[in-house]
Formats: sequence, structure tokens, C-alpha cells
Amino acid sequence: MMTRLGRAPWPLLVVALALLVPAVGSRFYTFLANDVLIWALFATSLNLLVGYTGLVSFGHAAYFGIGAYTTGILMKKLAVPFVLAFPAAGIFAGLAALVFGFFCVRLTRIYFAMLTLAFAQIVWAICFKWNEVTGGEQGMPEIPYPALDWMDRLPWVGDLRTSDHFYLLTVLLVALCLWALRRIVGSPFGRILTTIRENPERAEFIGVNVRRYELIAFVVAGAFAGLAGGLFGIFNRGVFPDFAYWTKSSEVLIMTLLGGMGTFYGPPLGALALILLNQQIVSYTEYWPFVLGTILVVLLFVFPGGLAGAAGIVSRRLARALRA
Amino acid sequence: MLRVLNFAHGTFYMLGAYTTYQFVQWVGGGPGLFWLAALGGALAVAALGGLVERLLFRHLYGKEELYQLLFTYALVLILSDAAKMLWGTQQKSVSRPPELSGAFTLFGATIPSYNLLIILLGPAIALGFWLTLQRTRVGRFIRAAALDRETLGALGVDVDALYTWIFMLASFLGGLGGALISPMRAITPGMDTEIIVEAFVVVVIGGLGSFWGTFFGALIYGQVLSFGILFFPRFSIFAVFALMAAVLMVRPWGLLGRPLQ
Amino acid sequence: MHRRIVLVALLAAVLLVPLGASAQKPIKVGMPMPLSGPAALFGEPASKGAQMFIDELNARGGVLGRKLELIVRDSKADANEAVRQARELILKDNVDFLVGTLTSAEGPAVSVVAKENKIVFIAPIPKTDQLTAPDKLHPYVFRVASTTTIEGRSAAEIVAKWPVTKVATISFDYAYGQDVTKAFVDHLKKIKPSVEIVDQQWPKLGEQDYNPFINAQMAKKPEAVMSSIWGGFFVTFSKQARALGYFDAIKYNFIGLGEAGSPETTKSMRDDYPVGIWGNSYDAFYWGESAAHRDYTTRLSKYLRDEYPSSWAVQGYIGMQVLTEAIKKANSTDSDKVAKALLGLTVETPVGPLTIREKDHQANRGQLYGKTVMDPKYPFAIMKPVTYVDPTKFMD
Repeated sequence: MMTRLGRAPWPLLVVALALLVPAVGSRFYTFLANDVLIWALFATSLNLLVGYTGLVSFGHAAYFGIGAYTTGILMKKLAVPFVLAFPAAGIFAGLAALVFGFFCVRLTRIYFAMLTLAFAQIVWAICFKWNEVTGGEQGMPEIPYPALDWMDRLPWVGDLRTSDHFYLLTVLLVALCLWALRRIVGSPFGRILTTIRENPERAEFIGVNVRRYELIAFVVAGAFAGLAGGLFGIFNRGVFPDFAYWTKSSEVLIMTLLGGMGTFYGPPLGALALILLNQQIVSYTEYWPFVLGTILVVLLFVFPGGLAGAAGIVSRRLARALRA
Repeated sequence: MLRVLNFAHGTFYMLGAYTTYQFVQWVGGGPGLFWLAALGGALAVAALGGLVERLLFRHLYGKEELYQLLFTYALVLILSDAAKMLWGTQQKSVSRPPELSGAFTLFGATIPSYNLLIILLGPAIALGFWLTLQRTRVGRFIRAAALDRETLGALGVDVDALYTWIFMLASFLGGLGGALISPMRAITPGMDTEIIVEAFVVVVIGGLGSFWGTFFGALIYGQVLSFGILFFPRFSIFAVFALMAAVLMVRPWGLLGRPLQ
Repeated sequence: MHRRIVLVALLAAVLLVPLGASAQKPIKVGMPMPLSGPAALFGEPASKGAQMFIDELNARGGVLGRKLELIVRDSKADANEAVRQARELILKDNVDFLVGTLTSAEGPAVSVVAKENKIVFIAPIPKTDQLTAPDKLHPYVFRVASTTTIEGRSAAEIVAKWPVTKVATISFDYAYGQDVTKAFVDHLKKIKPSVEIVDQQWPKLGEQDYNPFINAQMAKKPEAVMSSIWGGFFVTFSKQARALGYFDAIKYNFIGLGEAGSPETTKSMRDDYPVGIWGNSYDAFYWGESAAHRDYTTRLSKYLRDEYPSSWAVQGYIGMQVLTEAIKKANSTDSDKVAKALLGLTVETPVGPLTIREKDHQANRGQLYGKTVMDPKYPFAIMKPVTYVDPTKFMD
């Protein structure tokens, strides 16, 4: 029974389920689902670095921010269509990651984390102060939705709101990105990254150019974070310098950790759990940071493997109990 | 010193200011009493730091830096909200100690006596610290602990207790910083986060684990910021981070630090 | 691994269920306000003032036979967070109206959300002119706060009467600081052409070390200074300035905008306050101009359990009061109808009658101004005599 359950096309089912969310008819559920999807992509891109390659980036928000500003500026100020503005987010973020990463991968551990943080703060300072281009601290509101008129002509979908149309687009794009990331992780390249995480010296010994592979991983992670940012700017109806601030970097790191580093579906799960939890908590108390801090402490001490790790333990116990 | 990056240091700084305010409320602001309050505030923060180390932080030593980093971030979140619950959102203010409320003129510039004291006190504390590290038994242990924890333990030193003391000392200094700055500024929620990143910049520029480096770093930080304000005011923050990145690229261990291992 | 997805679905189901339940009865008002960080100093009392109005109103039976419900969310004094909270208030909590925001970055950002969702938004605190500038104005945004134009010009009128000609300014380098300084300088030069602006300092928002700015300014030997450094930052600034003999050097010819004269500030600084300077404030418990104000202060004092209640509460109070009157006038909670009712609406508030202009949706909200003195009745400085400067003549 377990094996048949295991063979079901789960990713496709989840996508199908996600596509059905607007049918519930609640604008809020669609909003929430949209938020979760984008953060899931963002967290998964970070996982490529932290979980698979063992590089702890404390400035991943920089690429998210660059992506968001790229798409935002292109669509709002230059009226570039989404078809071009969205990939541009990935390209620009990837290029920035290439430049920054070139320097970062030369360093190890703490120093790597510090330099990623420093670069992220540079990006943030530019977004915060360059009023003419980024709108400064007031941000850049009213990013237009992509032109999705063709959706009007589709059956079932035509009557939905613009925000629902954008959500459907997000589902498809995020699914595509996650699929691509899954392929990357499963490829020989992905396996080399894991080797680097486990033992960089050995990887070097068997002839792997560790720095080059780390740099490629950094660029790929940056590019996907940029794509997530591009979507988020539109979803958020505005781009703000906050996107690149170090607190955002720590937020996405917490999601990754909460879900479980190094497992592919852990970070999306972490994004889902953290966002839903936040929704519930803020209705009761203004002390969300306190709650978040406590969750983090519990996580670090009790479930260092995150939700995925915990679920793994539970399911193993269950399986054993069933067999017995 | 222990190769631990501590986000919560900014929080200890804020708590030092708040506890000083609290002690001033209790003992009053008469002559000499401010110093008592400041000391009490810093000691309270040190006690908190010791407690955190003993109960929680020590279980993370063997693990990755990521866990330590995130733990200190969790402390930031928890303690700043706790401070808000205790002291509310209204700003607090502490007066300068009456014996140092004056000012005097030096080369045509006015310098408040209190500021001068702070300027002198900083290096004095650092010097005392440095001497302790270089010349005393405890200092040698601390330096050894930073390099090789296991060997030190094998030599019969109570490493656990040593770490607690170091952590308390670090918290004490953070708290003292907040206590001493309190007469010069408003004590408000959020004063922790505004200093965290600045402190990182200073430490990185100077060199992780190097005392004189940190001083040097603070000096450079101030200079770059002021020159930045003069020449291109809008990008002075940018200049500071750019400098930090540049230092990390060229000498990741900082200008005066030593390479790890 | 796949079993995890089942877990996801379960988790989602568990967490989402309570969200579905929402009562239709009360009229819901969403308030994004800073409740953490340095700006919580104003955000928190403003939300309390709004809550007091609602509690009193509900005790009298509410409006249109329905009760009002206030939902406050922490906007962290950050535009992004304010937008996020405003959207969640609309989508999740189904609020009928928005009253809130504090900084000049939050206000315009939330205004866009209100426009997109066609929901009335009343801004009780942000002063930036950009909020209701012609290119940003839309049918759903209203302001019961003062504006940078009003504040800058009111201050210019006061400074013009001083026997000084060399004037300097110090303000934070962002929207509010720049706008209010410009309004002040332009108006002062117009009404007193002999004035010369000898120095302008622009510390960054949230600066902690003002010594270089103060020294640079003193070197230019101004006779009077206008500052718009607000809140807790004014405490930091004036402590450092006083230690350097700054206020003595300009003979206390100093006007502190951004509510530097508010009782909260003088109360927290006590003897450290640079007594003798001019300041302004949205409200002051000792003002007591009218019976309505005295009554309001007594109620507020009881509500907050504070002998010297906050001067910021009144902005939250007025925001809710104006909204309620508009709902009454429209006899509806439909945002389009309420928005129409708000145009030209006059409301008797604790600080006197306020009218929302049709032209730019702006209320004629002025502020209290006065020279600070120590009063034996209180352990801190107060503005005395304290005057409400009517803004009507300063509004274009």
C-alpha cells in the first residue's frame, strides 16, 4: 500500500490542487497560496546553496531584491512585457550573483557568510538611497500585472479576477522553476555539489574544481531567487528596499531550516508552515518576533532536521509500528 | 574571540541601556549614583548572558556555525520583544551624571566632559582587557580556548566554566556599552537592530578576534562615514559596506587579525 | 518524502479552518500602525486613542445600529510591511475601512492599496504633501493629519517674529524632513526677505551621533534654528546639542517641529530638556482650550490610566471619529458612499471643528505651538502660552 502511495505522481497532484485554489472563491486563500508559492521558490533556491552545497549565505535576499527591482522597473517605467521582464529578473540576479559569488566562494565558512551579508547590504543601500531609479525608502508601488488577456478566453478561468489570473501564472512558473531545480539537484552536477558539502578536500582530490562548482551553484541559486523576486514584486503590488535587507535573508534561512535543509521538498514546506503560522499568530498577538524566536530555538535544539526531518522520524516509527 | 558571531550583541547593548535606566529609577540620579546604576545594568546583562550560555548556547558548540548564528538571531527576536513587554514602547531617558555635566574647550572646539570620559574609557577598558589576555593565566586559557578547545580540556582546564565566563564578559561589555551611551541618547525599542550591522562592519574591518583590530576598524568606520557625508552624502552607507566587502575580499581575517588555522 | 505532502495538506487544513469563520455583524476597521521599533512611541498611543473612541461609541450603541471593531496590525514603520498588513486586513479580515499608518513612506504606499481595493483610507499621522498631491490623489484617500506645508509655514510665521536674520535648519534626509524644511524656508523668505539661510544640515533618518552636524552648524553662527528631528531622535539630538552648548549659542531661538514640544518628549527628558526652545505638538493634556478638549483629556487619562496622557492618541481618535461621522452621513458602510460623504464633511473633534476639503481630501488640522517653560505644577517642561495655529491660511 505504501509503495503504491509512493508511486503516485505527487508533484503533479500538488500543482493540480494549487490550480484549484481560486475556485474556492476566497481572495485571501489565493493571496496566501500565491505568497507561499513564491517564498517556496525563494527558499528552495537558497537550499541549493545551504543544503546541497554547504554554503551558508546570509545575504540571499540581495538576489531576490535585484530580481524584484528588475521586473518592477522594466514593467512599470519602461512598459516592457512580462514575457521579457520576468526572465530578465533571473538574468540580472544571476549576473549579480556571478560578480559577488566570484569573490564569495574564495572564502570559507564565517567569512563566506559575512561577505554575502556585506554584498546584500550594498544592494540594500543602493535600493534605499537611489531615489531616481528605485524610489528610495518609499519603494516603487503600482507594478502593473502582466497582460493576461488570453486567459479571459479560457473556459472556467475567464471569469476570475486579475489577481487570480496572476496566481495561476505563478503556479505554472513556480512549478516549472521547481522542476528545473529538481533536475539540477538530481543531475551529476547536483551530486558533485553534495560531495563538496560532505567533504570539499575529497572533492578536490578526485579532480573537481570546487570553487568553480560552488560559483555555478551560487549563480543558479541567485538566478532562481531573482525569478522569485520578480514574481513577488508584482504579487506584492510594489517593490521596496526591504526586500534586500538582511532580515529578509534570515527569514528565508529560517524557512529553509524549518522545512529541513538538504531535502528537496523541505524548504517549500517550511515556507508554507511559517507563513500559515504567521497568519494565525498575528491575529492574536503583536509579539510575533517573540514567537518566531521561540520556534527557532525549539527547532535548533529539538528538530535540527526541520519539519522534513521530524516527518521522516515519525513516518519511520509509523512504518515500524505497522510492520510489527 | 571564540569565533562565534553574535547577532544578540546589539540586544545586550540595548538591554544595558534599559537596565541602567531601571537602576537610575531605583537609586536616583545623585552624584556617583549613575556609575552604580551603569555597573548594575551591565552586571545584570552579564548575568543574563551567562544564563543563556549555560542553559542553551553551550549545546551548539559542536554544531555548524549556521546554528549558532541563527540561535543568536532568535535571541534578538525574543529579547527585544521581552524588553518591549517590560519597558513599553515609550522612549526612556537617563541624565548625564551631575559631576560630568559640564564641558570644556580644547583648541577652539567644545567637548562635553562626559564625551571625553567615554573617549578615554574605551581604550582604557580595551587596554585592561588586552593585558589580561596577554599576561594572566586566565587570559592564556582564553586564547588557548579560541584555538583548540579539546586540548585545553585534556590539560585539566574546566573549559565549560571558562566559556561561560567569556560569554558573560562579552555580554558585560555589550551591556556596559549600552549603559554608558544611555546619557547621550534616547532609549527606545529598536536601538538593538540599528547597531548590529554597524558592529559587524567594525569587527570585520578590524579583524575577527583581534582587539586592536576592532579599534582600528571603528576608527576607519567613523572616518569613511564622515568623508562619505562630506563628499557624497547619499551614498555614505554604501561606502561603508563596500569597504567591508573590500576588506573581506583582500584580507578576510581583517586588517589586524590573523588567518584562521 | 511523499508522505510529507500529505502532511502539508493536513497542516494546511488545520491552519486554514479558523480563517473561514468570520462574523458579518460589526463594521471592521483595519489599522496598520508601527507597534515596534522607535516609531511605536507614536503608533501605540494612536491606536489606543482609536480604541477608546470605538469603546465609547460601542457603549452608546455603535453607528447605524452596528458596532465598530478595530483590528490593529504592526506595520513596523516600514512601507513594505504596511502594504502587506493593509492587504491582509482587506483580504483576510475583510475590513470595511482603513485608518492608519504613521511615516511618510507608509502613508502613500497604503494609499495605493486603498485605491486598488476601492476602500476608504484615512491617514491620521503622515504629513508628507505627496500623500494628497494631485498625481497621487484618488477618491478613497483622506487625511486628518497636518501636512508638511502647514507645519513649515506655521513655523515660518513664528520665526519671522523673532529679532533674527541668520537662520539655519537641521532635518532628516528623507521625504518628511525635506518637504517641511522647504515649506519653512520658502515661506520665511517670502514673509521676511531680510532672512538669510546660513546653514542646512541633513543627518540621515535615525542618526545617533549628531556631534559633527551640531559642530558644523555652530561654526556658521546662526541666530536661530528650525529642526524637524522627531520623537526619540529629538531626545538624542537635544541631549548631544545641549552638552555642546548649542542652545546657549543660539539663545534658545530654536523651533522644534515634528512634535518636539509634545508632553511625551518633555516628560521623558525632564530636567535634560532644553527648556526655553519653541516646540509643537498635536495635542497637550494641559491645553484645555475648550470644554470638549478638557472632557476628552479626562476620559483619555482614565482610559490610559496615565495622569499625563499621550498627545498622539488624539490622532487615532480623530481618525475614527471622522470615519464614523461619514458613515452616519452616508447611512451606509459602502466605501464609495462613505468617500462621497467625507467630501466637505465637518466634524466637531476634541481639538475643534475639522473640515475635509473637497479639493485635496485634506482636513484643516493645525498644531499646538509654544515656548517651553518649567511649570511648578508639573515635573517637566510645558509649552506656555500654548496656541493652536489655525492652518486655513497656509493651505493652498
